[in-house]
Amino acid sequence: MKKQPSYLAVSVAISAAVAIGATLAASPAFAQSVDTARIEAGGQNDWLTYHGSYKSYHYSPLAQINTGNVANLSVAWIHIPGRSTRGLQSMPLVADGVLYYTGSYSRVFALNGATGEVIWSYFPELDEGLIARQTHSPYNRGVAIGDGKVYVGTMDGRLIALDMKTGKVAWDTKLIDSQKLTVGFTGAPLFAKGTVVIGAQGGEWPGRGPIFGVDAATGKKKWEFLTVAGTDDAMKTWGSDSWRTGGGGGWMPGTYDTDTNTVLWGTANPAPLYDWSGADFKTQGARPGDNLYTSSVIALDVDTGKLKSFHQELPHDAWDFDSAVGEFLMLDRDGQKLVVHPNKSGYIFVYDRNLAVKNVWRITQNSNFVKNIDPKTGELIGRRDFAAGKVEEPLCPHISGGVSWNSGSYNPKTGLYYKLGQEWCMTLDVMKTTPIVAPQAQLNIGANFKIAPPPGGEIYGHLDARDPVTGAKKWEVRFPEPPLASVLSTGGNLVFVPDSRGTVHAYDADSGTELWNHSDGTGHQGGIISYSAGGKQYVAVVAGFGGMASDDYAPTFGGVYKSMPRDDGALIVYSLK
Amino acid sequence: MAAGEPVQTAPRRTSEPMRLTKPDLNLMKTLHVMKLDFLPPAVLAAALTCATPAWAQQPAPSAPDNAPFDAEQLFASTCGWCHSDGGRAAGKGPQLMGTSKSDDFIRERIKNGKPGAMPAFDGALSDAQIDAIIKYIRSLKPQQG
Repeated sequence: MKKQPSYLAVSVAISAAVAIGATLAASPAFAQSVDTARIEAGGQNDWLTYHGSYKSYHYSPLAQINTGNVANLSVAWIHIPGRSTRGLQSMPLVADGVLYYTGSYSRVFALNGATGEVIWSYFPELDEGLIARQTHSPYNRGVAIGDGKVYVGTMDGRLIALDMKTGKVAWDTKLIDSQKLTVGFTGAPLFAKGTVVIGAQGGEWPGRGPIFGVDAATGKKKWEFLTVAGTDDAMKTWGSDSWRTGGGGGWMPGTYDTDTNTVLWGTANPAPLYDWSGADFKTQGARPGDNLYTSSVIALDVDTGKLKSFHQELPHDAWDFDSAVGEFLMLDRDGQKLVVHPNKSGYIFVYDRNLAVKNVWRITQNSNFVKNIDPKTGELIGRRDFAAGKVEEPLCPHISGGVSWNSGSYNPKTGLYYKLGQEWCMTLDVMKTTPIVAPQAQLNIGANFKIAPPPGGEIYGHLDARDPVTGAKKWEVRFPEPPLASVLSTGGNLVFVPDSRGTVHAYDADSGTELWNHSDGTGHQGGIISYSAGGKQYVAVVAGFGGMASDDYAPTFGGVYKSMPRDDGALIVYSLK
Repeated sequence: MAAGEPVQTAPRRTSEPMRLTKPDLNLMKTLHVMKLDFLPPAVLAAALTCATPAWAQQPAPSAPDNAPFDAEQLFASTCGWCHSDGGRAAGKGPQLMGTSKSDDFIRERIKNGKPGAMPAFDGALSDAQIDAIIKYIRSLKPQQG
């Protein structure tokens, strides 16, 4: 690889040039280069990639805020991004005291992490006519940083690189024809080894669900992996030419395994979501066969995009319980290197680094799409494949998932994985539909349905503290409505859960005892992180409700959700008084 | 490793020729479009595929006796995630069964959407399809059982 000029030298030069401007005030220390080694190390004070570090723990080792003083936590500063259509869903990143995050419409902000002062902002010009036609839009889930740049995807199919210091566009690469496909990028990119990886939306649309590797220096596309029939072998798993109906995609960022130079990514479901095949799904229905590589975890060479290994968590996914969750916990346990990946169904898969199944456990109570998943092989046991018509017994979990696309948190000090599970079901009427074989403008669902409580009970959500490998539960906290946001744990022995009503809770990581809470004024469904700036620890959380899961809350739960805006949001940052 | 060199791992989507199946060709005959050449490719593609229910009416060999009529199928494919239970119950979007809104209002809302709440279907659905959906909404009755 060509050696890039040292970012340290560049940053010093720029800082000197704008010494009178806001940049100096906002950057008390000279920024270091953010590179793969630094993201792997996951520095104490920073949050350098979507999942915290490549280990994907969503954990901060900072302990200034701890069980002893969390009662004194209060708001340090707030930032209002504006135009928060369908709320805020971003995972903020922090490098050297500067916080980077996005609002709806891929608006990017660089803020002084200690004061909230705006250092720069960037609002891309988007194809608004296209966005008005999209269903899963215009929210954005965050940026990647590395090699002196900030990377953001757009709903009109572009990946844009901004200079980390100035916010000026370094390159702007069109990756997919969103006008044709009506899908784009909502997920954050992943930076690894000079490559920016980003996956397209795809599950409900005819298309082949591409994941891209782009040269971080030039913006030139290096590779493209098609999650729908991306290899000759995979093509054989789409009977009746149904690969043309497509689906797939990988709309949440995965992670990078530095040992093997591999990107790990989760893929979305095939289309239509619900199939009328009945039990003979290998030969009958909308898409006969296993439909590789949808609802799978895949390992791609970061330099070439070549498939190295995969595991299809749900062969022929007929329930939209996909694998798009981007969380890949990298654990070292008894000399074994393991990877833990939650499937949307609520089953949690444990793999070795070649994605061979080591264990499978379940976080939800209410689940009936299969009787079980074999913990040794990952094979689905007693699966329910529907024929056209009304489904008698409600399907559990609900289409919004046994787990959300947001992330849990692993605390290496307690050895516990803090993860939200959701208890809800749905009535379902499967529709036999005519194949849609070329990109069209809208969704391809294939059923009518309605949210429903679990048999004999009420809808609820729960935060579990479990062993990530065995699933053994230490404690649980219940919520009347499923929380949808990400979870944070810290070296201060705390677990933070931003809930759907708008309250942030802090729990003792060992016992689950609630130690603090505070209202952010509106529901949460995005990221939460901790970082340090100027020697002080902060907790940053995005508030703002709206989107495919949360839009169901007002009609389902009423109460505070009836008046909760779905076009508003704020970044709220806490510190000790 | 050849850094920066584009690596082709699989056929690119863009290299796929757009194949017109027999139903597509039938559809083209029925499209009330003077000159398809005038349409931008995206609109053309959308028009060709979104109009699938037009040829779904053709007898399909494996269609069950209770094959849904086209608007019902179109509704389940594109509208049902938000308008629950086929439009009979509120979900992300309002309940449509028994709506007091006028046909003109519904037509306008389907075409232009509502920012942040409902996508615009103008260009994706034809006027005839939108009319069929309005008819479907007006015909909605509570589910048996």
